[in-house]
Amino acid sequence: MAGTGKAHLRTEDALLRVEDLVVRFPVGRTGLFVNAVSGISLDVLKGETLGLVGESGCGKSTTGRAIMQLPRPTSGSVMFEGRELTSMTGDTMREARTRMQMIFQDPISSLNPRRKVRDIVMEPLTIWKRGTVAERNARVDQVLEEVGIDPQRAAESQPHQFSGGQCQRISIARSLVLSPSLIICDEPVSALDVSVQAQVLNLLEDLKRQYGLTLIFIAHDLAVVKNISDRVAVMYLGKICEVAKSDDLYREPAHHYTNVLLNSIPVPDPEIAVQRTAIEGEIPSPVFPPAGCRFHTRCPGMQERCQNEEPQLREINTGHFVACHYPVHGGEAPVSIRTAGS
Amino acid sequence: MSATAELISADILLATKPPRRRRKFPSLGVVFAFIWLISLTVCTLFAAYIPFIRDYDTQIKVNGKTGRYNLGPGWTAWMGTDASSHDVFARSIHGARITLMIGVLATIMGLVLGTILGVLAGYFGGKVDRVVSIIVDCLLALPALLLALLLVYRMDDLKSVYTWLGWLDRKWEITLTLGILATAPLARIVRAQTMGLREREFVLAARSLGAKGGRVILREILPNLVPAMVTVAITGLGILIAAEGALAFLGLGVERPVTWGKMIIDGRADLKRAWWATVFPATFLFLTVVSFNMLGDRLARRFDIREAAI
Amino acid sequence: MSNISQASSRDTGAPLLELTDVKTHFRTRRGLVRAVDGVSLTLERGKSLGVVGESGSGKTILSRSIMGLLPTKGTERHGSIRFQGQEIGNLGRKQMRHIWGREMAMIFQDPMTSLNPLMKIGRQITEPLEIHLGMDKDNAWATAERLLQDVRIPEGARRLHQYPHELSGGMRQRVMIAIAMACGPTLLFADEPTTALDVTVQAQILDLLNDQRKERNMSLILVTHDLGVVAGHTDEIAVMYGGKLVEKAPTRVLFADMKMPYTEALMQSIPKIDDPSHTRLLAIGGRPPDLVNPPNGCRFAPRCLYARDRCLTEEPPLRATDNPEHTYACWYPVGSAEYYQAKARLAETPVAVGGLD
Repeated sequence: MAGTGKAHLRTEDALLRVEDLVVRFPVGRTGLFVNAVSGISLDVLKGETLGLVGESGCGKSTTGRAIMQLPRPTSGSVMFEGRELTSMTGDTMREARTRMQMIFQDPISSLNPRRKVRDIVMEPLTIWKRGTVAERNARVDQVLEEVGIDPQRAAESQPHQFSGGQCQRISIARSLVLSPSLIICDEPVSALDVSVQAQVLNLLEDLKRQYGLTLIFIAHDLAVVKNISDRVAVMYLGKICEVAKSDDLYREPAHHYTNVLLNSIPVPDPEIAVQRTAIEGEIPSPVFPPAGCRFHTRCPGMQERCQNEEPQLREINTGHFVACHYPVHGGEAPVSIRTAGS
Repeated sequence: MSATAELISADILLATKPPRRRRKFPSLGVVFAFIWLISLTVCTLFAAYIPFIRDYDTQIKVNGKTGRYNLGPGWTAWMGTDASSHDVFARSIHGARITLMIGVLATIMGLVLGTILGVLAGYFGGKVDRVVSIIVDCLLALPALLLALLLVYRMDDLKSVYTWLGWLDRKWEITLTLGILATAPLARIVRAQTMGLREREFVLAARSLGAKGGRVILREILPNLVPAMVTVAITGLGILIAAEGALAFLGLGVERPVTWGKMIIDGRADLKRAWWATVFPATFLFLTVVSFNMLGDRLARRFDIREAAI
Repeated sequence: MSNISQASSRDTGAPLLELTDVKTHFRTRRGLVRAVDGVSLTLERGKSLGVVGESGSGKTILSRSIMGLLPTKGTERHGSIRFQGQEIGNLGRKQMRHIWGREMAMIFQDPMTSLNPLMKIGRQITEPLEIHLGMDKDNAWATAERLLQDVRIPEGARRLHQYPHELSGGMRQRVMIAIAMACGPTLLFADEPTTALDVTVQAQILDLLNDQRKERNMSLILVTHDLGVVAGHTDEIAVMYGGKLVEKAPTRVLFADMKMPYTEALMQSIPKIDDPSHTRLLAIGGRPPDLVNPPNGCRFAPRCLYARDRCLTEEPPLRATDNPEHTYACWYPVGSAEYYQAKARLAETPVAVGGLD
């Protein structure tokens, strides 16, 4: 399989190192497959926050879940804390999963509606029989207070008695009680109001510092991702287009897709908003992904080569990697690129 | 009203204090269903202690003699007497016992089997799912009554071969048969619900916390299945009671002490001469089935279960 | 019906939509929920208005009150809603039916649930044409094809014979827009039309709505929680909080010179793409007000960093700045002497800005 390359993987010891990850789902019994993730490689250093951005259907959530082995990826390697997860089974797998946790988009759906909130947060400790009952209680109270939920109320109430923002805090508390090293946040704030969104983002930043966490932050909102991430990977149709330090990526987007994404964000400033132009067309079906560069069907800078030859990730600036034959900034892009394709 | 509720919950209540569970006064039909089922159950269980209910085999003599349909509905026998001078009212009450017992036991059996099959198929998918689906499809594809006939006759055969099956009288045969029949639709509904729940984030979260399959099913999935299961079971109870009557109609009724189906069959031939011997037990059967349906319907609306239609 | 069509044809000089002290209250078990509590505003023909607020601000209920789309049971409506000079606030569903589609139409957030999954796209677009405009079948289908062209759906003729599930989310929202515009309404409501869509598609849909508005001289009310969405696509913005209008201004004026601390807080809580990463966000502490027992005085005061005693007891009226089009409801607006005093005080004694809800 033509991968998008591994040039961006770092040589240091990474907390998590994903190589050639492929996830395919069968489409009913048609014999066809949805190519959700088509050979991506990633690494996350300890204490780093990696942002994964892209439109819906780009495979960002599937990547997050495949790292957790829920469900297991079709192929590829996931090294976490020096251990290969894809070959683990049974209790070793269950044990390894406790070192990484996940927070989901829908705050209400992430909590079992028929249980008391305190029991939900307690659950991980109960499963693993950590400490005495008193120790468990103390730990749960402590974590609930850290995320700003009254433990007293949590003991009496069910999830539907809390607001969306509070439910998301409860999810965060549940993911923290076992003190994991990695938390995968799958669109944790996109279902929340802007004011609440800011509270949750700030909370994540605080907890990250306090617990020395490493985060993978999956979202479609580029501004949110930029705010929280150290490094950002842009995904399109199951492939990585561009990886860079978040400030670099947003200052000088190299891939045309990143550029398009950045230009489509509704900016809360009327002076800027009027001048922008939107890209036409929509994301192609992941059952029949386009040959060559997967973005060529919508790319404003498309050339003939892009239709046949798949670009590999290469470094165009220190720490800035792009999988594009004719990038917007840097590389050997022809000057006439803006007018050439479209 | 539900439109308002939706709007309010969407836009306002989220911003206000925790919403309390909204309770609405149940409709007249549901109240009636409740009263009917409860009084029927009490009467049939404690018939022996209730003075105005005769024993089921007490014969009523008119002028010192028994006789076929010797009394119409009236003060002495409220619903008249049947071909053997038995009180139709008393027999209708007593008839409820066997009918309800068969219905409840068969439903419980269906619930247990259906839940096990459905949860396994829905949660594990793959091969397990395929095997369960084939069994369920087969059960559903055959006409239910034909299947019931086959099962009852087959059990009769087995009984004559294996003597230790002596306890398996007609009552238990029908219970087992109806239980098996009830399993298929329940398994199907539980499977669909489980598949939905399995993809919910809280189940994923439990798995990512390292919970084992059994714990996930027990703690996360089963409690969320209860509303659907109760709803379907109650609706199903009504169907099973009607099915028991239908089996009696085919000559597979329970002979002693008495069931509604048996009473209807026995009185059917003389419907013109003594309508009361058939119409009253039929009314009992009808009201009971309708009551269960009504309760099931109400619960389905309460829990918002759409798959409940079997 | 005849009144309304006359009203639309004569040029009265009155604004297209005029709300005076509109209140929508719901009777619930907890008490009276004051979802919309005294909103007054006007909208000129051909203009677009963005209604912005958090969930629970009453923005959705306001738009549905104007459309008359709220259930009558348990709902109390007060105040006056004048549409093309005619009072429609007290009309029943039957009379509103003549207005829906022809005069006012609405687009919802989720295009999948607002389209009938069992009906072909073509049928769903032609139905209102046949019912409201009395078109014959051929005419209606030709119009439908033209409408799909207007909303930039390629191969319209083929698409008309498809079912909603065969289209992507963005395409479905375009179809919804086509249906809404089918009978040439003078006022279009769009309730979070892009929230369920991807950013690239979101931009396309917003541009499309704006182009069509200009082309058809239609008025647009865009209801959203996202200040970014309204910034580039509306002429005016109304900010709602706790069922009340707290600030209204032409878009450029508002962004250049916001007066209401709530508007400012809303702006500051959005992560900005131009800020360096890990910039601390200024979250609004606390929670939106309980609409059954709203706080006395200014409804935002309990969460406001600059609130003083007066704010907690006395409700600020809506008043204008030097620019008569810019109104706000605040005793100590952004830019006032008291605002700067409070700000200086806050800088000295740092408080937890990222408060919890």
